[in-house]
Amino acid sequence: MTTTWTAAALSQDVPAGTAAPGRLGDRDLAIWRSASGKIAAWADRCPHRGMRLSHGFVRGEALSCIYHGWRYGQTGQCIKIPAHPGLEPPDAIRVPAFAVAEASGVIWVADGAPATAPPAFEGFTGFRSLQVDAPASVVAEALGGKGDAIRAALGPTPAVALIQPLGPDRSGLHLLAPLSAAPEALDALSVAAEDLRRRAEAGQKGRAA
Amino acid sequence: MRHQWYPVGIAAKLPDSPAESLLLGERVHIGRAKGGGPQVTDAKGRALPVLTRFGHVWTTLGTPERDLFTIPEADQPGRRLVDVGTVRVRCSPLRAVENFLDIAHFPFVHTDILGAEPHTEVERYEVEIREDSDEVWATKVRFFQPQAAKSAGGGITTDYMYRVPAPTCSILYKTSPPRPGEWDVITLFVQPMTEELCQVWPWMALFDDASTMTDMIHFQQMIFVQDRSILENQIPAKLPLDPGLEIPTRADMTSIAYRRWLKRHGYTYGAQLVAA
Amino acid sequence: MKLYDYILSPSCYKVRLMAAIAGVKLDLRPVDFHPGREHKTDPILALNPAGTIPILVDGALILTESSAMLTYLAALAAPGWLGDATPADRAQVEQWLAFSPRLTASCGGARLHDMLLMPGDIGALRASATRALRELEAALSARRRRGHSFLVGAIPTIADIACFPYVALAPDGGIDLGPYPSIRLWMRAIRGLPGFIEMPGIHRLHEASAEPAPEIGGTAG
Repeated sequence: MTTTWTAAALSQDVPAGTAAPGRLGDRDLAIWRSASGKIAAWADRCPHRGMRLSHGFVRGEALSCIYHGWRYGQTGQCIKIPAHPGLEPPDAIRVPAFAVAEASGVIWVADGAPATAPPAFEGFTGFRSLQVDAPASVVAEALGGKGDAIRAALGPTPAVALIQPLGPDRSGLHLLAPLSAAPEALDALSVAAEDLRRRAEAGQKGRAA
Repeated sequence: MRHQWYPVGIAAKLPDSPAESLLLGERVHIGRAKGGGPQVTDAKGRALPVLTRFGHVWTTLGTPERDLFTIPEADQPGRRLVDVGTVRVRCSPLRAVENFLDIAHFPFVHTDILGAEPHTEVERYEVEIREDSDEVWATKVRFFQPQAAKSAGGGITTDYMYRVPAPTCSILYKTSPPRPGEWDVITLFVQPMTEELCQVWPWMALFDDASTMTDMIHFQQMIFVQDRSILENQIPAKLPLDPGLEIPTRADMTSIAYRRWLKRHGYTYGAQLVAA
Repeated sequence: MKLYDYILSPSCYKVRLMAAIAGVKLDLRPVDFHPGREHKTDPILALNPAGTIPILVDGALILTESSAMLTYLAALAAPGWLGDATPADRAQVEQWLAFSPRLTASCGGARLHDMLLMPGDIGALRASATRALRELEAALSARRRRGHSFLVGAIPTIADIACFPYVALAPDGGIDLGPYPSIRLWMRAIRGLPGFIEMPGIHRLHEASAEPAPEIGGTAG
């Protein structure tokens, strides 16, 4: 069981009233934010017929499944079944929820209750997520570092790279930059990150061949 | 399920050179015999049994105990027979059938066509497994529909009956908008390619003198492709037959009976038996 | 104005969507693309020898390229959508209109292969789609940094309509859109536009409609 925090998405990419897909280890997540701004990370599966909740829609403080409109409140408890408007849904109908916290513009998720708060990178905020078709270790190596949080040298603007393993040959790369960075500086970081992705993927192909 | 008949092509549109496909994970080729009729061969090139019914070519990998089911209503004069065309879906063939048996999704997946909020309630209906014919039937199903068919002028409360005569085939009888006393026949015939991949071959026998054939084809393709993005995103991909993994309600009585009937007969290709 | 149309064609949908947004009424003439292959029959080939749909006919004008149809509809009824406020904007609209066939060939090719059994090298189609989607994602993330939701300028343009359908339907061809957060938010912004219409595989924003009031006199329970 993962009791450490995993960087799963960026705060800017899940604005109020939206849902997005995410991953925690080998599990699919529905990450969503209510109209009032509350973030949640759930199993990406409606208990009724297994439909992905990340395809669902947010009305107010609840997430509804796109398939039959079953609606779930903040705790994951089902609060409405449209096919039976007069029925109070049984307590047993509940979507498993994961621990979630936001720091430095990053949405962190965990299975269980980590003992500490997620890492904060003072003065930095998340600005771009990319997926790389290479394992986390190869991405870390391309960044010239080790582990899952690397102070990256991608040009004149300092950056923090958070690497999220997504299986044996895929990773998420969440990039943080100084809050004060101008759009042009972020553009340059983006280009550098894509260059890094090309190299990591080319290296990966070379290894596989 | 080897001893069942499955649809593999439209009789009027057989390919000139044999087309490769999959049936229950085994390679088959569908084409024309020397005389022009349908021919289906297995991976070893042996001719498989074929029959033509409901506009489609059917085959089997086994030795079916009985003839393919019939749909007597479809023989009524005045109906127009519609070969809708096939669509491939990355889902269990059983999930495709189960979705076809469901009405509660209409307001959310077929919005403003087969359903619309706030008309979401599913009233009680009747479901039985008919022992004489060994078929699943749901009757007295009613639902408010903004545009029930291409021929519908506006919203009507539509009456439905569902029938499952074979593990991957379902027939829907629904109020015919131009002839309220008669049933339109809409089928979903599913070719199980693998346990998580299938081709649907919808076919219809409708009372509709106003719409063009293309209009009717497009209406049904529209409906099915609205379902496709749902079917490709259900977890697990296979249909769970044991209770526990998914939570049904009274609106799902047809699905509950279908799952029970599948399990009773051991129709488990595309099913998940033990809750993960 | 008559549109030779197929309900499942993303290119035809571009024209239907632009017309709906611009408030232009189209006379739809359904073409039995699948399974009938009517687009390869003589009457359609007489209009468009390339044997493709959509075809837009307005009097003597016959258009067979969807990007040209978007330009025509916008110029007629919604000139702001041409996105030609500055020379740079105008060029960027052209850039995206010229980019959109890459999406048609890759995402659209994968979709036709997976859904309607058309021939194709599915691995190559998906790889090509990934390259195009990565370019689009990078461009849209740069736009967001500047507070913009759409591809060019401050407002939506025909460039957005030209790129949207094949991107939104990429999952039909087994292409996961999960890795593209800026694309997700851009698609959402398009789905939220006044006059937006859906096509099969692209759901409307159910969240945009307020929670419906309970049915009066309904028999619950």
